[in-house]
Amino acid sequence: MALDEVGSAAAEGGVLDPHGPVARVAEDLWWLMFWLGLAVFVLFAVLLALGLWRRRGDDVPRDDEEARLTRWWLVGGGVVLPIVGISVVFAATLAGMRDTPTEASAAADGALEIELVGHQFWYEVRYPEAGVVTANELHMPVGRPVVFRLTSRDVIHSFWVPALGGKMDLIPERENVLVLQADVPGRHVARCGEFCGLSHAHMELVVVAESDADFETWLSGIGETGAPTGDEAARGEEVFASADCIRCHGPAYGVPDDGQELAGPDLTAMARRASLGAGVLENTWDNAAAFIRDPAEFKPGVDMPANDLSDEDLAALLVYLGYDR
Amino acid sequence: MNERRDPPHGSQTPTVHEPATFGQLDRLWADPKGLWGQLTGVQNDKIGARLLLTGFFFLILGGSLDSIAMRLQLAIPENELISAQVYSELFTNHGSVTMFLVILPIFEGFAILLLPLMLGTREMPFPRLGAFAYWTFLFGGLMYYSSTLFQLVPDAGWFAYTPLSGPEFSPGLRLDFWVLGLGVAEVGAIAAAIEIIIGICKMRAPGMTVNRLPLYAWAMLITSFMILFAFTPLIMGTLLLELDRGFGTRFFDPEHGGSSLLWQHLFWIFGHPEVYIQFLPATGIVSSIIPAFTRRRMVGYSWIVVAMVGIGFLAFSLWAHHMFATGLPPLVLSFFAAASMAIAIPAGIQVFAWMATIWSGKPVWDTPFLFVVGFLVLFVIGGITGVMTAAVPFDLQIHDTYFVVAHLHYVLIGGVAFPIFAGVHYWWPKFTGKRIDERLGRWNFWLLFVGVNVAFWPMHRVGIEGMPRRVYTYEAGLGWELENLISTVGVFICFAGIGVFVWALVQSWRKGRPAGHNPWGADSLEWATASPPAEHGWSVVPIVHSRHPLWDQDELDRGDPNLERFVRGLAEWPLKWRAAVVVGTADARPQEVFRVADPSFWPLIAGGGVALIFLSELVKLRWGAGLGALIIAVSVIAWNWPTEPPMSPEEEAEFEAEHDVAVNAGGSVIISRWGTGLGILFVSIAFSTLLLAYFYLRLENPAWPPEGATVPALGPMVAATALMVATGIALTVGQRRLADGGERSFVGTLVATIVLAVAAAGVQLWEISRAGFGWKEHAYGSIFFTINGFLVTTLGAALLMIVMTLYWTLQGTFSARRHAPVTNVVRFWLAMVTMWAVGSATITLGARLL
Repeated sequence: MALDEVGSAAAEGGVLDPHGPVARVAEDLWWLMFWLGLAVFVLFAVLLALGLWRRRGDDVPRDDEEARLTRWWLVGGGVVLPIVGISVVFAATLAGMRDTPTEASAAADGALEIELVGHQFWYEVRYPEAGVVTANELHMPVGRPVVFRLTSRDVIHSFWVPALGGKMDLIPERENVLVLQADVPGRHVARCGEFCGLSHAHMELVVVAESDADFETWLSGIGETGAPTGDEAARGEEVFASADCIRCHGPAYGVPDDGQELAGPDLTAMARRASLGAGVLENTWDNAAAFIRDPAEFKPGVDMPANDLSDEDLAALLVYLGYDR
Repeated sequence: MNERRDPPHGSQTPTVHEPATFGQLDRLWADPKGLWGQLTGVQNDKIGARLLLTGFFFLILGGSLDSIAMRLQLAIPENELISAQVYSELFTNHGSVTMFLVILPIFEGFAILLLPLMLGTREMPFPRLGAFAYWTFLFGGLMYYSSTLFQLVPDAGWFAYTPLSGPEFSPGLRLDFWVLGLGVAEVGAIAAAIEIIIGICKMRAPGMTVNRLPLYAWAMLITSFMILFAFTPLIMGTLLLELDRGFGTRFFDPEHGGSSLLWQHLFWIFGHPEVYIQFLPATGIVSSIIPAFTRRRMVGYSWIVVAMVGIGFLAFSLWAHHMFATGLPPLVLSFFAAASMAIAIPAGIQVFAWMATIWSGKPVWDTPFLFVVGFLVLFVIGGITGVMTAAVPFDLQIHDTYFVVAHLHYVLIGGVAFPIFAGVHYWWPKFTGKRIDERLGRWNFWLLFVGVNVAFWPMHRVGIEGMPRRVYTYEAGLGWELENLISTVGVFICFAGIGVFVWALVQSWRKGRPAGHNPWGADSLEWATASPPAEHGWSVVPIVHSRHPLWDQDELDRGDPNLERFVRGLAEWPLKWRAAVVVGTADARPQEVFRVADPSFWPLIAGGGVALIFLSELVKLRWGAGLGALIIAVSVIAWNWPTEPPMSPEEEAEFEAEHDVAVNAGGSVIISRWGTGLGILFVSIAFSTLLLAYFYLRLENPAWPPEGATVPALGPMVAATALMVATGIALTVGQRRLADGGERSFVGTLVATIVLAVAAAGVQLWEISRAGFGWKEHAYGSIFFTINGFLVTTLGAALLMIVMTLYWTLQGTFSARRHAPVTNVVRFWLAMVTMWAVGSATITLGARLL
């Protein structure tokens, strides 16, 4: 089940291993709050321990003691200490929010726009400028802000790349905007952050941050990918139509002419993706065959039906989809 | 046992001296024996204990067993022990049960059990309402849990976010069990909250002025108001969800003008206050226990009260911190971040007040105190991580990760469950008369304290490493294995701790040492009575002169001579009905002696009626709802049926003349007024929730009304509203006449009211029938029909009251002296007229002006 190719990247330190400015804001905030919180806790724990175990006489406390206690403990510990603490944290929060790039600041910096549409249980990825539509794998150039436009076709999902920054929900009735930027190349896994149904645990998006050149190559590669030629691929194309794959996935190569919205992920260049089924399987010939036969085995609650194809038909289909044996 | 230092004043805390009438009073207040007694009983001890036991029962089921199953699944990566379906059911069940069926009944149970003793009164104000609260809670809990038998356990999370929980993505009955079962239980929670508010405000010992009110009572008072203001919007929110699911309305359907975020707002307006609804009673328990075990008065009483009130208000202004990732504007984010962090101030005041008290005193390390110290440590950790989650950029990272799971369990187990355990160890001897073995108590504490830290500390880390919540499995090689395994071990340690707890209680029940009246040398009133206390609690109602009566007073029945005569008089008179005292809200001077309701079968029937309404929607036999409504109407009328008071007005007047305190053997005038007021408040909050939904949907829709829908006409609205206002004026005048002895003209007023109101309803219904659109096409139609439906239903209930009032007036039930029910019916009617006017105006003008 493990995605060997992305495994090393997935083992990164999450929130504490920032690869971009947005994640760095959160990391800085974390360390500030961690040390401050630790200091408050140590102060509290020492005071509590002293209070519990200090030696004391049996003298009955004087009447004015309550006033003194109130002054020192309640005003000092209960009011001043929290106010100082939360003022620091709130100021840092506001500073962090100010330092987080916005749609406007990103536009000024020549941002790339990516549209992300959530589905149960996969991500549709659109590059409007290039007219490219793909799924479950997202490439972005480093050193350049990316404006993500987020929405959903069914239930609420969330888009979250810990190494790049905080998450934002994909909500059916609205378009949310999230600006992220990767400063260094890297391969990350975005896991859905909002419970969205049975396969919530199997809704992953591979996010590849790479150099401008690599990114352009990848992007144009998808647009230019065509169907393989040969008899087996031709037979595969027939299977693709007869097994009704086309109804949800559209044409296996390119986007539908009428711009119709698809219920299933676009399959153009799917063989080149790192993972299969939005992160459930490593993308190999055998896994793809098994997945097409019975998707629900790997992905509970998935809409895609099981396909009772003969070995030959399945192999032809895989060839047509661009897989190598 | 530890050697105890003497309490600050006096070597021995005072205890009650029972008068000769003790046996008579005890028998008078006892519920009937046998099964019938169990079904009709209304005694606060019985209702309180039942709520507690039922809450603990659900805790074992949904709190413990579910978490063990989930932790087994997550112990190792890619585990195939539990399927995605079952795992979704488990975490939905775990959250729903602990939030709705465990902590709330436990705290309301504590309150109903404890308050009369602690406040120095004999009963809660509405024993039958208390019984009704228990039955509805039980029926709701069982209805919810029956989903397990049908293998239809809800699976959309305890928050049931739309559209996932809506008809399209959750077809079938799973979510209906969630909405309807928990809905019944929520009705019970609100009923008990009303009971508790009035009990604390109006039924206390003479002399227990507001500034002598135990901190526990303050906590419960604020909590109960919060329940009223938080659970009512939730009930309305779930009503809208059920309308979407069962009747095809479009409230949460984005494709037809609805909004999925409307659900989140409605849910979290309840959901965040809910956290403090659970936390405040816990702090009340802590503030009771710390003085007893440090032999010192709580430092900063007024500070703590102000802090709790502050938490109560703040709690309603930070719900959106659960929605930071939904795309709210930055200004809104900063507001909710600031409000969320500000909670640290009142929480800090409480923590340092406890610390100061510990510093000034000398701790006695018995089990209740151990749990309190554990509470302090765990709660402060949870509080610190709570401030962290309010910092927006960081929260966007850890939102919906295991970091939040860690945070909320530190707060809810450390901050809430530990005080519950402390409270059980503390008060168990009072109500059973037996001690709990200290050695078992220590095992109980240490296993839980270690278990909680082992289970939840690693979750902070795995959350920061990127592990999302609510995933039934995770891949190997992500570096999450060790933390998850440790967490699983921790949950088993916790489970052992709970096992020891149960065993300790069983041991104590069977052969615990006798407790005596005040085993801890505590300061509050309940420790002066026998353990276990008599059925009526107090033979001689105590007179309070201090915030710590048992430490500062040598006698509990001494004071102002008039008061002394009053409380002694009440020990001997009247012995034929259950008499309790109503006092002034602030000065605690006796205002009224009234007859507390007797055992009755009707609360059970009414609870059954409520359950039947929800059940008929669940099984889609909707005629059952009509039957349920009929059952409720019949049983509420029956339980309020004005029986001949067991005492003549002359006898009442005699006691009144002697003690200058009103006597109402027919039932209290004062607390029924309070009950009506809170009932009206409840209905108004429900109605306001609908208005809120109206305006929110308006904001989300560029076209309002949508294309094709007609704008409601002005004429009929004005006419109907004018008729309704006329009824209000007529009733107000008629009621004055009745007070002056004019029963005849009051009959005329009632008839006129009925005629005018029916005419108004006719005009309104005729206008609705011409609407030209339904509730299924667009959210506009959905909210239009729902608000109108609400108004018509409220009118129906009010009309029923008027009809019954007419009947009883003709029967000659009311007189210039005894007509409190009439006054209350008129109050409800006026509230209904106000809602009618506001509702009609909103619908009619909202479509024009907005």
